Amino acid sequence: MSLVTNALINLVVFAAVAFGGGLGTAWYMIEAGSRLSTRTFGPWTTWTAAGRPEADPYTRAHTARNGLLPVSSTLELTFRAKADSSGSRLTSTCDYTIVLQDTEPAWWSLAVFDGQGKLVQNGAERHAFNNQTAMREPDGRTAIVVARDARPGNWLPSGRSGRIVLVLTVQDAAFAAAVHDGAQTKSLPEIQRTACR
Amino acid sequence: MILNLPFKPRLPAWIGEVSWRTLAGAAFLGGAVHICVTFAAPLVGAGNAFQQLRATLPLNRMVVLPAPASGKQILPYLPPDMLYAMCRYELTGGPVSVTAAVSGPGWVLSLHTPQGDNFYVLPGQQLRSGEVSFLLVPSGDAAHAQRRASATDTQVASPRPEGLIVVRAPLTGLAWLAETDAVLRRSSCTQVKR
Repeated sequence: MSLVTNALINLVVFAAVAFGGGLGTAWYMIEAGSRLSTRTFGPWTTWTAAGRPEADPYTRAHTARNGLLPVSSTLELTFRAKADSSGSRLTSTCDYTIVLQDTEPAWWSLAVFDGQGKLVQNGAERHAFNNQTAMREPDGRTAIVVARDARPGNWLPSGRSGRIVLVLTVQDAAFAAAVHDGAQTKSLPEIQRTACR
Repeated sequence: MILNLPFKPRLPAWIGEVSWRTLAGAAFLGGAVHICVTFAAPLVGAGNAFQQLRATLPLNRMVVLPAPASGKQILPYLPPDMLYAMCRYELTGGPVSVTAAVSGPGWVLSLHTPQGDNFYVLPGQQLRSGEVSFLLVPSGDAAHAQRRASATDTQVASPRPEGLIVVRAPLTGLAWLAETDAVLRRSSCTQVKR
């Protein structure tokens, strides 16, 4: 192999590793997050330092790039799920059931968005349930059904938006502190796929 | 563990031409690119929440925003089962007097820098009375700190001369929408002239 070819190969590899690797890893750390900045509970992921003034650069970049305005994670945690509990991508063509156990004294809200964080268009103009609006079972549990068509009980319409994202907001300072410290905490609800069409 | 593959994987010949110096240099530069991109990311793109809200929010005035609906969202992923009152403040002309009702579970009063840092937060359930009032002053404004109106006049220092005040009220149903809206409208944000 000639000297020119050798130099060319080294130049291409250098550029690919330096710029491809640098940009790719930065994009991944900012958009998807890693163990340095997020914690995952089944399908739910939260940015543990979101909203805090002392947040790490990845969390700050994630917040700014996505136009988010989070309340400090010392008080409130926002969990996002893009997949169900079996790992399949959430989509408006499937129905899902989310059962929240008795979460007292925490205040919570479960909302559905499309893949870009916009509210899903639906005739009922219903986009979320919280612990004051959702109906509870006699045993204190709350079952929420995410589906395109109307369902009895707590029905959250998923519209026809294709990919959907579920966002669970939990306001509980003790829980937030435990998650931030990496301590064992109460479990988050599973997202069970019940049907697809 | 030794794998007995039926074939021997062959790497392309050109890989042998890549020098370790090239890889080391590329890894070093890749690290620098990673750091630069991470710190530059907030500065590029559609803009952070403050930049997106700057055009819609008047200065030093609390505005109750319409209930979130599809196609009428002010920010992505903002909890939709809430009503929001927001004030874009600027402290260069003097401190800002803030009054807000934070009257129950789910209610939150939060103060944010233009970068989105939430430097002060007050959840509803921790309050004894429903209403809170304080003076928002620039950080390190010792001169103003000495001119307190009274000993009970609470001051909150803002790390930046501008930012956002957000009062968030959970929607507990259509029947309570007007009542929640009325309580939110009691919130205010007024500049106190020096």
